[in-house]
Amino acid sequence: MTTLRSVTRQLFERLRDETADVDADFVVAPTSLDETAAVLAAAAEVEIPTTFLGGGTHVGYGNAVAADLVVTSAGLNRIIDWRPDDLTVIVQAGVPIDTLEAEIASRNQTAVFPEIASGATVGGVVAAGLSGFRRLRYGPIRDRILQVRIATGYGKVITGGSPVVKSSTGYGVPRLATGSFGTLGMIGEVMLKLWSRPMATATGEVSNASEAYAETYRPLAALETSEGSFLYLGGPDTQITSQARAVGAEPEPGLAWPEPVNAAIRLEFRVPARFIRPAIDRAKRLGATRWIAEHGVGRVDAGVGAIDPKSFAAARAWAESTGGALVVVATGDAGVDPWGTPPVSIEIQRRIKSAFDPSGICNPGIMPGGV
Amino acid sequence: MTESPDTLPSLRGRSLAGHMDVVAQLAELLGPDRVRAHPLDLLIYAKDSGVSSGEAAVVALPESTGEVAEVMRIAAAAGMPMVARGAGTGLAGGAIGVPGSVLIVLTRMNEIFEIDEVGATAWVGPGVINLELSNVLENRGLHFAPDPASQQSATVGGNVGTNAGGPHCLAEGSTIAHVLGMEVVTADGEVVTLGGAAPDPPGYDLRGLVVGSEGTLAIATRILVRLTRNPPDTVTMLIAFTGITDATRTVSEIISSGLVPAALEMLDGPMIEAVENFVHAGLPVEAGAVLLAEVVGHPDCTAAEASLIREISARNDATEIRTASNEAERVLLWKGRKAAFGAIAQSAPDYYLNDTVVPRTRFVDVVDETYAIADRYGLRLLNIFHAGDGNFHPLVSYDASEPGMTEKVIEASHEMAQAAIAAGGTLSGEHGIGVEKRDLMSQVFSPDDLDAQARIREAFDPLGLLNPGKVLPEGSRRFDRPTT
Ligand SMILES: Cc1cc2nc3c(=O)[nH]c(=O)nc-3n(C[C@H](O)[C@H](O)[C@H](O)COP(=O)(O)OP(=O)(O)OC[C@H]3O[C@@H](n4cnc5c(N)ncnc54)[C@H](O)[C@@H]3O)c2cc1C
Repeated sequence: MTTLRSVTRQLFERLRDETADVDADFVVAPTSLDETAAVLAAAAEVEIPTTFLGGGTHVGYGNAVAADLVVTSAGLNRIIDWRPDDLTVIVQAGVPIDTLEAEIASRNQTAVFPEIASGATVGGVVAAGLSGFRRLRYGPIRDRILQVRIATGYGKVITGGSPVVKSSTGYGVPRLATGSFGTLGMIGEVMLKLWSRPMATATGEVSNASEAYAETYRPLAALETSEGSFLYLGGPDTQITSQARAVGAEPEPGLAWPEPVNAAIRLEFRVPARFIRPAIDRAKRLGATRWIAEHGVGRVDAGVGAIDPKSFAAARAWAESTGGALVVVATGDAGVDPWGTPPVSIEIQRRIKSAFDPSGICNPGIMPGGV
Repeated sequence: MTESPDTLPSLRGRSLAGHMDVVAQLAELLGPDRVRAHPLDLLIYAKDSGVSSGEAAVVALPESTGEVAEVMRIAAAAGMPMVARGAGTGLAGGAIGVPGSVLIVLTRMNEIFEIDEVGATAWVGPGVINLELSNVLENRGLHFAPDPASQQSATVGGNVGTNAGGPHCLAEGSTIAHVLGMEVVTADGEVVTLGGAAPDPPGYDLRGLVVGSEGTLAIATRILVRLTRNPPDTVTMLIAFTGITDATRTVSEIISSGLVPAALEMLDGPMIEAVENFVHAGLPVEAGAVLLAEVVGHPDCTAAEASLIREISARNDATEIRTASNEAERVLLWKGRKAAFGAIAQSAPDYYLNDTVVPRTRFVDVVDETYAIADRYGLRLLNIFHAGDGNFHPLVSYDASEPGMTEKVIEASHEMAQAAIAAGGTLSGEHGIGVEKRDLMSQVFSPDDLDAQARIREAFDPLGLLNPGKVLPEGSRRFDRPTT
């Protein structure tokens, strides 16, 4: 790896010298974690700001990053070890989530990744900490990541967590990595806990999602959207039929998820679940044309055409007053801080960042408070 | 493992006079009743429920977050290490004092502040007893899912410290999946809130780091727990087998069928006998192993899942399948499982409890190997398992007054841990590392992995004052050490 490291370093030195004022990207696609670490070690030595690319679908989260080097996970594209009898899988970051889900569906298993895949990769979804709608039933994504392998900002490959479904052995590094937006290094490989898919599934349209949720024992999801409210059920046929009928719904077989909220600017209300109703109202008042609200979770995903700074500020203040947040996901500059007030633990967050990325090259500033 | 105090970090040049000054300051803050420095008082706290012991310089019993913060500021100013302690039921030596430390006992912070039935959350003090929380929730259709066998005495703060598990953590996950947020005090006495009731708080998931960190990153002073809805139906079954292998194979087949029951526990023959002698729960004493399986949910679902479990059990030569037909019978079936450790305490003067986890596919082999190891050492082994998640507790019962016995037991236990690790498993499923498994950490983590964890610790506690000498072996922080 030393040769790779010195060659890379030379390249990076040239890159730095020759493209000082040019908005040029240098793209590398390592095929192993060791290679990734060597690349990051070299980038750290010459202090080249670096970003990571998976499917490229979640670009738009967080503060803008001015990076000269792009490390893609395209070369880390293997399902390393699926153990259907243990309900676990070890998979590399560049594998698209729908590829993984399709593979493990052959034994009727699921990694409970977001239902709307649109090209997202395992690494991207983990780094962004995205949970699907079925989190209502199976918990958020961070509860399913047993182990991670990261090429850190200081150029080492580290493994965190344990390769089993239950552990109190050392710190929860997988939880730290989940939602860390590539600020600690590159997540190259994860081990996931899997679930069996329910014996049967059904979707039922309901008139009131919050009542339907309250009256149903553990539905897969309870969504209220701009197109209607739906209860998603899993279990034996007789169960889902009786659960649907109990809330006045006619069950249709299968899970009919809503179309994604595709908008140049998306607002994500993340509030305690009991505030979902006012969050929906706020989203509408901010001009949301399409939206999906997750009952029992407290998340509203809403698309807007533009942001009016004044009403947005009021909505954010409200969301934060509930103990939540109003996060902006935008492909361009939306004119507001994407995260809002930084967490009170910001000092510890900064120290964690510099512990894993001492030269500050990994997605610098993308996280809340510019971490 | 007996940990002689001198392997714990020494008090670098701190004088007794210095301690006396701290004791006086603490007494002024908390009143003389809530500060203990008499050797006899210190002795009471010298152990947790593991085999190691250690001694603090002084014990403080704060009653509020403000008091915890103030105690920690006083300790930090004097450069004294701080050790958080709940009920002291921990099995890894996590809650024992280190030389010259302030032991911060949180049992008096046992208030339940707020229960949100709609959002299914509650804010509780770290000193709240696990079972008391469930009792308070009983009539609200909710419960706190983590149910360690020690739930009658263990605190929620201690559960957070060790990321405690329990029979019902198979489907629901360990404590970490049931803690949404926390108010913590960091080593320098700062009060910080981590996480919260809203999903995906922006920023790093520091809550996820503090849970399971055994008091080495911060001390939790208020905990926001997630509550779980009581299921509409529960089916509990006790399934007997002639031999251990039939039972372990049944477990593997249940999991590989994709079914994750609410609980799937196992007791081996010697354990069944010990338990039955102790509680008379009507366990089949002639059995070589029993499984306790529970499925919960909609009645249609529990019926289907229970019948699948019966089918798999029958295929693996189960000799008896009992199904509880009412709550009283269900409680009786669980009674044996819950009384297991009490039973052991009755039957042998000492016991050493292992806590390894293996992939469920390797369960059968590793269990066999543990028996072989015990045989080779001529030790009495009883086994109790959270079988569904591959977490097993080979328990060696012995008499520590026999010369050389403790060392022999520890050696055999290390071999059992190694067998689990060789099969792709790990050191602890739920009890934590503390001091007892600290020096085995390098068998599951590389030097670089340990260094990364030490970096996290340094980020929280730059001076290394929180529970030093626990969890990470000495020298874990290896390179690029900032020079301060
Ligand atoms: C009979 C018996 C059965 C058991 N069964 C189980 C079981 O089924 N499952 C299981 O997981 N464990 C079990 N245990 C182990 C033990 O009960 C658990 O580890 C429990 O979580 C410890 O709680 P405690 O209040 O006694 O904590 P303590 O033993 O006092 O402390 C445990 C650790 O947590 C830290 N800590 C305590 N309070 C705080 C706080 N407020 N903030 C930060 N850190 C803190 C301590 O420093 C220490 O490292 C059992 C123990 C016994 C004796």
